[in-house]
Amino acid sequence: MDWQAARVSILLAALTALVLLPVGILLARWLAWSRWRGKPLAEALLMLPLLLPPTVIGFYFLLVLGTNSTLGNWLSQSMGLRLVFSFEGLLLASALINLPFMVQPIQRAFASLPDNLREAAWVSGLSSWQTFWKIELPLAWPGMLAGIALTVAHTLGEFGVVLMVGGSIAGETRTLSVAIYDRVQAFDLGGAHQMALALVLFSLLALALVFAAGRTGSPGKGVPR
Amino acid sequence: MDLKVHLNCPGPIQLDAEFECAAGELIALVGPSGSGKTSLLRAVAGLLRPPRLAGQVALGKTLWFDSEQGIALGPQQRRVGLVFQNYALFPNLSALENVAVACPSQLDIWNDASLRALFERLGLAGLERRRPAELSGGQQQRVALARALRRITHQAQEASPHHGVLLLDEPFSAVDAPTRQTLYRELASLRQEVSTPMILVTHDLAEARRLADRVVILDGGRTLQSGPPAKVFASPRNARVADLVGIQNHFEGHFFKQSPGWGRLSWRDSGGATLDLQVIDKNRLADGAAISWVLVGEHIDLLPASGPSVEPSTHDNFLICQLLELLPLGETSLCMFSPKALPQSRLTLNLSSSQLRKLEAKPGSLLQLRLPPEGIHIMPQRAAP
Repeated sequence: MDWQAARVSILLAALTALVLLPVGILLARWLAWSRWRGKPLAEALLMLPLLLPPTVIGFYFLLVLGTNSTLGNWLSQSMGLRLVFSFEGLLLASALINLPFMVQPIQRAFASLPDNLREAAWVSGLSSWQTFWKIELPLAWPGMLAGIALTVAHTLGEFGVVLMVGGSIAGETRTLSVAIYDRVQAFDLGGAHQMALALVLFSLLALALVFAAGRTGSPGKGVPR
Repeated sequence: MDLKVHLNCPGPIQLDAEFECAAGELIALVGPSGSGKTSLLRAVAGLLRPPRLAGQVALGKTLWFDSEQGIALGPQQRRVGLVFQNYALFPNLSALENVAVACPSQLDIWNDASLRALFERLGLAGLERRRPAELSGGQQQRVALARALRRITHQAQEASPHHGVLLLDEPFSAVDAPTRQTLYRELASLRQEVSTPMILVTHDLAEARRLADRVVILDGGRTLQSGPPAKVFASPRNARVADLVGIQNHFEGHFFKQSPGWGRLSWRDSGGATLDLQVIDKNRLADGAAISWVLVGEHIDLLPASGPSVEPSTHDNFLICQLLELLPLGETSLCMFSPKALPQSRLTLNLSSSQLRKLEAKPGSLLQLRLPPEGIHIMPQRAAP
């Protein structure tokens, strides 16, 4: 077991979920209730990372943020921030490709809230912020839990983008999935197996958690029929 | 504090409504689905504010909405207790928390005397800790009512001395009939204690008739007529109102002036036959005008066909009719008649069952109906849109 890689993987997964949760809530809430005409395009854009090969995403990431690009150059010159082959860059890429995994379940949770719950709150005198805090958030919570679990599981399993953007720098960008690849290439099948099995079990656990959250606290629970 | 509403909106939701509701008065907004009654209620509450909405909503001297002065308060700033059709209780909160949702946060809601009194008043004592899903439909309805009442009677948040407006959006449509009867009584007794304007939206005419001091008839977002239920139901202003209030005996004809105060109604059926009836001339209709008219059931008498000849001096109309159908409903029976002179026309009347028995009435038999002029209400044909 490559504990260093496990540490990078877990840190990446936790930070990705942490960064994405507030972004996901805002985006999901807007998508669930907006009547903006361009919404389908925004939704398509959001879903794109699900369909594109990870190599395509990684390739464009390198192109836009690499040290040879204007933006990448500016970032490293003015802020000392290097986003390719670094943990920070890996985190940014991971957040981007996990957006649909975080947003989708939360959006469904918000969309399933009856419209007039918010109206009832406003009429009762609650401000938009109080309504969000006291009513919307507690009711959309199962969707958020699902979003977090899916994001964590998917980040642990991501391979293509990690390899393209981060490479395989021990302790910095080498995650478990990349470490497995390295082990196999070195014909260390036993070592690869250990880590692969750990990933399988963890993902299974995360998915079970998603379904459990969906059952016990589905947004429909307790809504008067 | 009187509520004054005058709203106009060309679209997307058409509104052209004007009505007032005095403190302690209950008015019913009545109309078919899609008539804009719920939209109107939502506009009063501040939930519906389309960009082209014009007019004024005012409670006493407080302007809630005024398009000319650019005033449009949000729903939080209007003091409105709204009971939603599906109650819209917060499923994540207990019954008490649902009601106390707008209370100041430092209030200890579990030890608040006014909240406890409200729960007892509405028969909800002991249910404070239940979630909405653990309450029956009637109980949920009471919690929703309690929440609305709390909003308009609770004084602690603002210094404003006046209360608000209670808005009820078809609140009785989702409960079973016995519960509905109980809730009707609750509302009636509540009106003794809460003296705010109350607006009830309903499509149920019987409900409007039973609960409201005044009804406002709405169609396509327009207020067509308002007044005490008995008056609106007995003398609709035009044919559309007659349709909307569900008057069954609604016919077409022509009006001709006669001696001062009296007119002749020429009733024509689809077969071309005509029948003349004496009517009262209120000088509102021109000689020869095409009219709609309705028969107001309470004034009709049933006599044997060969009936006692009545003094010819009266203005009453006597119609020989054939009884086509007879449906006993207990004390009264639903009867369908066809006048002998107008075999194509149908009159539907609720008549006393004992009277029908006395006359040995059965389908096919001939009877005489006495229609006094005051039971015939004439009005212009369909109002110009």
